[in-house]
Amino acid sequence: MTIAQQDNARVLMFETPYLYNMLDGQVYPLLAEGPYAWNDSRTELSFSINPAAHWSDDTPLTAEDVAYTWEAHVKYNTPTAAANVDYIEDIVASDDYTVVIQAKLNDAGAAINPLLVQAYVSTNYVIQKAWIQILEERVGGDATALLADPAEDVIASGPYMKYFADDSKVVLIRDDNYWGQDASMWGKLPVPKYLAHVIYKDNAAGTTALQAGEVDVSQQFNANVQNLWLEDGLPISTYLPDAPYGIGASLPTAFFNLTGSSYGLDNLAVRKAIAIAVDYPTIIANAMTNQSATFDQVPRSLMNPTDGEQALYDHDAVADLQWAGNDIETANAILDEAGIVDSDGDGWRELDGQKLTYIATCPNGWSDWQAAIEVVAAAGKEIGIDITTNYPEWSVYQTVVTKSDAPLPEGYDIFMMWSDGAGPTQPWSRIRKLMSSEFNGMTSNWNGNWGGYANPDADAIIAAIPQETDEAKLKEMYTELVQMYLTDIPSFTLMYRPQSFHTVNESVWTNFPYDGDGTNPPVPPLDMMDGWGVAGLYNLELVNP
Amino acid sequence: MKEYRNYYLKKFIWFIVTLQCAFILNFILPRLMPGDPVAAIVARMAQGMSNATGVQAVYEQYTKLFGTDKSMIEQFLIYIRNVFHGDFGYSISQYPRTVADVIQSSIWWTVALQFPAIIVGWILGNTLGALAAYLRKGFDRVLLPISIFLSNLPAFGMAVVLLVIFAVDLNWFPTSGGYGFDMIPNTSWEFVWSVIVHYQLPFWSIVLITIGGQAIGMRSMAIYELNADYVKYARFLGVKDSKIIRYVFRNAMLPQVTGLAQSIGTMVGGALVAEIIFSYPGLGSTILTAVLGGDYPLISATTLIITIMTLIAFFVLEIVYGMIDPRVKAAQSE
Repeated sequence: MTIAQQDNARVLMFETPYLYNMLDGQVYPLLAEGPYAWNDSRTELSFSINPAAHWSDDTPLTAEDVAYTWEAHVKYNTPTAAANVDYIEDIVASDDYTVVIQAKLNDAGAAINPLLVQAYVSTNYVIQKAWIQILEERVGGDATALLADPAEDVIASGPYMKYFADDSKVVLIRDDNYWGQDASMWGKLPVPKYLAHVIYKDNAAGTTALQAGEVDVSQQFNANVQNLWLEDGLPISTYLPDAPYGIGASLPTAFFNLTGSSYGLDNLAVRKAIAIAVDYPTIIANAMTNQSATFDQVPRSLMNPTDGEQALYDHDAVADLQWAGNDIETANAILDEAGIVDSDGDGWRELDGQKLTYIATCPNGWSDWQAAIEVVAAAGKEIGIDITTNYPEWSVYQTVVTKSDAPLPEGYDIFMMWSDGAGPTQPWSRIRKLMSSEFNGMTSNWNGNWGGYANPDADAIIAAIPQETDEAKLKEMYTELVQMYLTDIPSFTLMYRPQSFHTVNESVWTNFPYDGDGTNPPVPPLDMMDGWGVAGLYNLELVNP
Repeated sequence: MKEYRNYYLKKFIWFIVTLQCAFILNFILPRLMPGDPVAAIVARMAQGMSNATGVQAVYEQYTKLFGTDKSMIEQFLIYIRNVFHGDFGYSISQYPRTVADVIQSSIWWTVALQFPAIIVGWILGNTLGALAAYLRKGFDRVLLPISIFLSNLPAFGMAVVLLVIFAVDLNWFPTSGGYGFDMIPNTSWEFVWSVIVHYQLPFWSIVLITIGGQAIGMRSMAIYELNADYVKYARFLGVKDSKIIRYVFRNAMLPQVTGLAQSIGTMVGGALVAEIIFSYPGLGSTILTAVLGGDYPLISATTLIITIMTLIAFFVLEIVYGMIDPRVKAAQSE
């Protein structure tokens, strides 16, 4: 019964009170009716449940279901509870259709983090109280058994229910009694009767199936995707007709090891020289086969390329800090000026007499990341810093990188990890995970800042942003953080990456979402099983009805 | 009769001792791999989680669930107790599925693909090898280079060649899966036909590789036997050619039978390449995923299956050897 809930919480079977749309950064009511509202002191957030909403067993979905879902999370210490108990005091039903989320307060009586409280309503789905109680009875209150229950008998509120699952596919069937066909919501049912998620063993098998017309929507990386229609003449397309073909949402990033175990990386000149010497256009052209905006098109900051996030900082104020890469001349000048030169004539620079030599790392088999890391290593050679590459298996890599209570071991001087994609807490959450020192010292750090950067000024702004409501002040704060990030360079983004890739084959179904298709609100390029991407299912048409 | 009893008893004792050693190694070796697989589950659960203490709590919850917070000795004792109850616990990489469920849902695909393919490849390979040795001339000149080519072609190479030619270019067969991407398992003829069609490319990719290796082995052994003194002597005595050939191929078969037993014993692990290339829903690729993800419970269970299958195959082989070749029994029963 454990389904990871995140910024685009799945809604095919289970629904959230609100849905987040990454294209406009807004949340829209799903189970809720109308917008949510804070009280004057911003300590309680309330919203109403749509009276039309009901469960698959036809019983009404009420505020009590929302409250009991939270109660069960807390009782059994689920990941959802663990993620939110520091910020949410309680969730109560003030009447059948009104939910009140009480924020946890700090000593001053203010909500500790209002941003995360309001994010709860679009990132956590509601489960039926009556069914949870059946489950509790079945497992006898055992939290382990509860989390591991396959929940075959679950009652849900979404438009699809489980139909079949094995090792090769999961098939969902439309619930024709779905409440969302009410006029207050979608007004109709989604078009496909069945949705099949086929499981391929690797990307190559998935691409072959897409070419053969066995896949309608592909959410994986297909290298040189444009060849599918330009050279092969297949009825395949992407969200944007030209490069970068999709909407970048996350920032795969190379982290510098700042935990003290990589000689010389505590020197800003070394970090800056490496970061500005890297040939990002080559990474984007080769590793991403142009499925990323370039850093000329979207200058580097802490924001993803969407308009909403780009508007959150003052571009002019940081323009002189935004490097586009492949600037070997400047990189060499920075190192020379810092006195980091090749003093023994072996072709490599030394810092205080010690040769600068690093290993750049990413998980084995992550081909686009490996290609990017090779370009980072090549940049080192251009500026006299010896960078070699190493690719451990993911099972080893993740353990090393996420252990933040000790210096990183040898071989992890420069290493790649992801950043948050689009979501209702962005860009605050992404910045926090790229810069906040609160994760340093954890034995298992799955949040971020894996290089161990620490800057009290950045920490203070990150802590203050969730409390701030004045948009002008927020912009100032974000701009300041971008300035700090581009000045200190604790890590550097290598590319922009879509939330999920969105390539469609229109030999069976047509009218998939694309840029400028006229839908309002616009349907984002997701796999149509997540978040607002589900809206795309209502527009599909059969090619041969 | 006593000789047979000693022979079988000795084999059985070795079988039990080997099984015990393998059981211990199956537990220990996966756990010696670097990395922390529980962290992978936490990675899935922690997506979107913003508070550090929350992630820590989730991590501790799952280390407790999988027992990785206990000492290796404690874990081993629990493992023994659970295995004797038929409980291999939860798969780490596919949590909350149990190991038993993962294996149950995929092993029959692998057995149904591999077993017939190994048998067909073995029979065809040995027949062709024997014919090449006996007929020589043109047949041998054609068969030998083809066999060498097939046996040296990597398994993934053969699979990719078949995939590109017959699935992508000619579009005769589907590219992936065990049955139609638009179907769910049922008893209709349409579904059965879909399974048969999806079966062809992975099946023949294994058969062709097997044929090459078996044909070369059989040809060499048969040529050796055909030139042995007893064959010349039998011919000199005027024994019929058909009778001589029977003895020749019976003797040449012994190493081939060993190879067959080995292939059957290790077929679950050997299914990897074809299953990955054709996205076939078997256990081979599940094992690979388990190894890459450090999924201790699944690795231990699957390697135990492979170990038991191999041991049984060789145990049966020893029994059969004792029966068909008195020299083996005589040499080992003293």
